[in-house]
Amino acid sequence: MSAVLQNVTHTCFGLSYLLAFGMELARLRWPWESLRIIGLTFGAVGLITHSLFLAANHPTPATAYGALLAVAWVLAVFYLYGALHYRKHAWAVFVLPLVLGLVALSFTMVSQPNETAGFTSPPWASGHRFWGAVHGILLLLAAVGVSVGSVASVMYLVQARRLRKKMNPLGGMKLLSLERLEQMNRRAVNHAFPLLTAGLLLGGVLLKEYHDLSDWLSVKVLATVGLWLVFLVLLYLRYAVHVPGRRLAAFTLVAFALMLLVLVATHPLADASAKPTPAAEGSP
Amino acid sequence: MNLRAIGCNFQTAAVDLRERLAFDPATQQAAVAELAARYGCEAVLLSTCNRVELYISRPADEQPFDLGLAAEFLGETHKLPTEKVAAILYEHVNDAAVRHLCRVAASLDSLIVGEGQIAGQVKQAYETARLSAATGPLLNTLFPHALRTAKRIRTETGISLGHVSVSSVAIDYVRQVFSHFDDKTILVIGAGKMARLTLKHLQALAPGRILVTNRSPQKAVEVAEMCGGKAIPWEKLDDALVEADIALSTTGAAEPVMPAARFAEKVLPRRGPGTLVVLDIAVPRDFDPAIHDGDRVCLFNIDDLTRIREQTIAARHKYLNPAEQIVEQEVKKFVAEWDRRKSGPVIRQLHTEVDKVRSAVLTPLLSKLNGKLTAAEKESIEGAFRLFQNKVLHGPIAALQAASQESERRTLLEAVRKLFGLREGEGA
Repeated sequence: MSAVLQNVTHTCFGLSYLLAFGMELARLRWPWESLRIIGLTFGAVGLITHSLFLAANHPTPATAYGALLAVAWVLAVFYLYGALHYRKHAWAVFVLPLVLGLVALSFTMVSQPNETAGFTSPPWASGHRFWGAVHGILLLLAAVGVSVGSVASVMYLVQARRLRKKMNPLGGMKLLSLERLEQMNRRAVNHAFPLLTAGLLLGGVLLKEYHDLSDWLSVKVLATVGLWLVFLVLLYLRYAVHVPGRRLAAFTLVAFALMLLVLVATHPLADASAKPTPAAEGSP
Repeated sequence: MNLRAIGCNFQTAAVDLRERLAFDPATQQAAVAELAARYGCEAVLLSTCNRVELYISRPADEQPFDLGLAAEFLGETHKLPTEKVAAILYEHVNDAAVRHLCRVAASLDSLIVGEGQIAGQVKQAYETARLSAATGPLLNTLFPHALRTAKRIRTETGISLGHVSVSSVAIDYVRQVFSHFDDKTILVIGAGKMARLTLKHLQALAPGRILVTNRSPQKAVEVAEMCGGKAIPWEKLDDALVEADIALSTTGAAEPVMPAARFAEKVLPRRGPGTLVVLDIAVPRDFDPAIHDGDRVCLFNIDDLTRIREQTIAARHKYLNPAEQIVEQEVKKFVAEWDRRKSGPVIRQLHTEVDKVRSAVLTPLLSKLNGKLTAAEKESIEGAFRLFQNKVLHGPIAALQAASQESERRTLLEAVRKLFGLREGEGA
């Protein structure tokens, strides 16, 4: 069984998602039910092989590689749910590129094997694994929220463009209403913000406890703080200024770009120059 | 088959004449029963705002029901001169009548190709005739077949895609902006006929609140009462627009009711973050098109809605050829099945008679050879006789099944009966 699992590679699920995306694109031209079913089958195969890959290799989400794969997996679940739920809408056309992009980005990270190898295990990750795991999960969930918000934003911008141009409402791809997309974006951001805040605070406490001041200036930490500020502005614009939905959607995309930077940036703990832990100092 | 489709439609008769020839549901049932009884035929009477048609079938060996009789019946029923009615009627015979009904049911013969109402009207006409006992074997087979053809065309082609009424297109736009309506406010500005029609569609969305305003307070109250809304003074138009999610405007004002400057100054800054959809179906326009931004304000005027309607109709015409091909396939299928059905009793009778002859020859032979043959040899002899019988009958049966013309089939049936000594009426 484990030998079979070892044979599951990036290519298996990447290709499955790609074929599912191809079917969805073809469905825009030929809206046949058979194409939808084939697309869903490829999508499901992709998700299964993706899950098997994660189960077999269990990459740590503290690395860019593991984080990207984990976020891609959650979004693949989101894609499959949406494709089944909104069967008449061009859902997959928007979510699958994101999944594919994250998988492709993680693939480029495979060439950095030292990142995981160089990951020093501080006490809170071994002795206090719990808080490290909580920190990672909070940030991953926030990343999923930003991704969902950005998918909704892209759909919103496309739908708003169609309305601005007064295109045939029943022609071309079918999208959710502006109201529904705005609601999806709002919920994603509203849920992601407290998760991000809690994850960031917890990360700050752990860094302060075990690391140098220089670690605070790493790209990952700065980008995460930047992302949090963007969220703050986003919430202010939505609830205090009531800016139009199009601008909010564009701003959510900025948050997504920052989130990608957060995900691919090296974790401060992957730095070999991490301050020796109290336990290490005490050891002979 | 002795089938006729006789009638008039929007292409052959002016609307006033069509109106005079039309049957309302109350008179239709009695009329179709009388038609069937008076002319001794199967009958279905299809009456819509765009056509009045009679589908008549008589036994194959009887005089066909012709255009003259149809004109006589329609003229007498509606108290119109027979000649005047005859002048606007068309007539389709047998295969052509089958084809015509399939085209009508699939809305290929409609004023707006692909419209969905006609299939329901054909079904209703058939049900009315059936309940009046005016239908028989042919029409009971033909109408369900035509309705199946219409369904196949709708499913396999894009002929019924999109909406072609201005009101429906307006609703399609509204649905692109909003997904639920129980918390939405609809503002109706003006009280024209078009407003009432579109308002009916909007009411079907079950909005939370309807406000109505009009220069004439009395008319506003009338419309508000009709739709369960609330009438508000014309002077409060700006305030109402601030509250509204959907505005439906159909005033007869010569000047725009809402210029862009007034909207930008008195409405937009006071509105919340939600989108306002303006359906301006007034001519001339009530709202300045400049207020449309596709985000906070989505404005669709009569030109936009008509353009989409025309695009949809043009798109449907792309599917005419595939639809006509399906009609041809289904006409051939129906005619072939009907012919087979008509030949069936004779073929069964032929088999029965020749079975008797085979048995009459084989039984004495096997009795004579009793004791000299093994069971296997007996079986071989019986098999050889059966094979011989099938080979002999194959030619006549294949010819009967292949006969495409009614006259040819009748000649062949007669010949088979005579050649094999079959009596008419048996084997049915």
